[in-house]
Amino acid sequence: MTVAASFIRGRMLPSSLRSRMFLILLVGLAIAYGLSFSVLYAERYISAKAMMLGTLQSDVAASVAVFDRIPADQRANLTDPLSRGNFRFILGPGQPGVVDTSVRGAEIADTISKAIEHRLPIRMEAIPGEAQRLQAHLALTDGTPLTIDITPRSIMPLAVWLPYVFVLQMLLIGILAWLAVRQASHPLAALAAAADALDPSKNGPALSDTGPTEVAHAARAFNAMRDRIAQYLEEREQILAAISHDLQTPITRMRLRAELADDTPERAKLLHDIGELERLVQDGIAYFRSSHGNGEKFSRIDLASFIESICYDYQDTVKAVSVSGTITGTVTTKPLALRRILSNFIDNALKFGGAAEVRVERKQGGEITITVLDRGPGIPDDQIEAAMQPFFRLEPSRNRETGGSGLGLAISQQLTAALGGAIRLYNRDGGGLAAEVTIR
Amino acid sequence: MDHVDHILIVDDDSEIREMVSGYLKKNGLRASVAADGRHLRRFLETNAVDLIVLDVMMPGDDGLVLCREIRAGKHKATPILMLTARTDEMDRILGLEMGADDYLPKPFAARELLARIKSVLRRTRMLPPNFQVTDAGKILSFGEWRLDTVARILLDKDGTTIALSGAEFRLLRVFIDHPQRILNRDQLLNLTQSRDAEIFDRSIDLLVSRLRQRLGDDAREPIYIKTVRSEGYVFSVPVEVSEPHQ
Repeated sequence: MTVAASFIRGRMLPSSLRSRMFLILLVGLAIAYGLSFSVLYAERYISAKAMMLGTLQSDVAASVAVFDRIPADQRANLTDPLSRGNFRFILGPGQPGVVDTSVRGAEIADTISKAIEHRLPIRMEAIPGEAQRLQAHLALTDGTPLTIDITPRSIMPLAVWLPYVFVLQMLLIGILAWLAVRQASHPLAALAAAADALDPSKNGPALSDTGPTEVAHAARAFNAMRDRIAQYLEEREQILAAISHDLQTPITRMRLRAELADDTPERAKLLHDIGELERLVQDGIAYFRSSHGNGEKFSRIDLASFIESICYDYQDTVKAVSVSGTITGTVTTKPLALRRILSNFIDNALKFGGAAEVRVERKQGGEITITVLDRGPGIPDDQIEAAMQPFFRLEPSRNRETGGSGLGLAISQQLTAALGGAIRLYNRDGGGLAAEVTIR
Repeated sequence: MDHVDHILIVDDDSEIREMVSGYLKKNGLRASVAADGRHLRRFLETNAVDLIVLDVMMPGDDGLVLCREIRAGKHKATPILMLTARTDEMDRILGLEMGADDYLPKPFAARELLARIKSVLRRTRMLPPNFQVTDAGKILSFGEWRLDTVARILLDKDGTTIALSGAEFRLLRVFIDHPQRILNRDQLLNLTQSRDAEIFDRSIDLLVSRLRQRLGDDAREPIYIKTVRSEGYVFSVPVEVSEPHQ
């Protein structure tokens, strides 16, 4: 795979949109800038060279013509006045050199040949050990050797400030690219934060719909979505209230009718079914109510008596629920919600393990964990996450009698969120499940 | 001739009304029915009842409104048992705050309703004269403690909630309802029996010691619940009734 392809696929790109956009803008601008700089540089180089060669040609032509015409004894006086910055004349054969084969040498030789209009043969040699130094050897019409010593200056001296300007420009590009990226990514981050904080049951502040058109549009769309969700929730509440009322009345009738009927096996079965129906309706209502807080206020409770009272209520109905590791002190929480969470844990432990142990610990940092432990079959590790989902049942084949409504843990999780805690399930060493709620 | 308790059932569903009244009659009570607030008012003008079973969810004036109305009128001493379709704990509290003596969520078992009716009647009859007016929704203060009879919680002097198990709450209620009266173990057991038909296998002595622990009472020198040798226990602190503070 080519680098470009992997780049496009994002393997070599940083993960955040912000850095990706920044990188693409910066690299793109730098390449474009570098290209235009190179083109300008090349163009300038070509014209400067043409100019230099033109000057060389005319100067050399004039000088060689002068040397050729004046008497041999006066030539020495003119070598210096006729020399220029990048060439000088030497009367004589000059230094020995090697045949120059460089393009540049050929260009210069060609220029000089043109200058003297091919009247005098010319031989171009490079001086070994000295880069950039060339000597053109020729013989004047009287046979006297003449050497033109050429040290071409750098055609285009770069100004010393040019690198600084270049760095400054790159910096400017960088800053502007970052600003542009921020323009685009900042509203996106705000939108994400708003979506995270979205709680349709509360009337939080709407997302500000100012800013660039696209951003304003997205914000308006988000606010509209939020309102729609709130509306759906409200409708769901109304439907649930209606169902709970409209179902409970016929169920009450059914129950009364069954109870007043003659005592037959059919009646017992009917009562059992009615009981199941009741439980499903109740759990369903409880689940949907818990989904956006239960409206309970926080209050300060004595932890030891709270835990003990729950366990004693179980013990008083001959259920094997024990307390270990009670701690003293108070905690501020929603007691009814917490009681329901723990009752759900304990009910599960009793159902699957036959007995429950409640352990309370205070962690460093003041957090309190209450764990309900059992020695039942536990939950396969890969299903623990799913166990929190509504209507989850461990074994699809399991009898409805022990399966329950499948809402207990889901209710617990939502209530835990309502009191600002956390819930965790894990399998114990030696078998059994631990259900843990952490509150602060 | 023995007095037969007269129960008035107020429910908008005619079948439920009739079945409940039939069941209560079969179990030796006198029962009448009313379909709504209008019927209820008319019935109370001409009849004396011992207890009202009141449905919360009714068209027109709902049960909460009627409950408040009864509590404000000349039948304010009549015990009220609320029936409601709601199952949430918060609704139970709301119902009790309106002045109901007890609460039963729909759907209910007929046996459960009968047990609760009897329990409410027994409790209101056994109240000492100063508690003849129902104290539901009231705060009962004794010593450093306050008992919220609606939320069924005990508050210490700092306002911290001390949770009580169902049996502990019922025992404390029995003591508070009979202050400075010696109660023997049989009476306590009888009065503390759960209305939820729980199996009550704890001995009264164990329950008393738990309750003392909750109240911070030293078993050797108890302040609140004193032991009367070979007789039983006595709640030796005066109790005050106050309105619930918001």
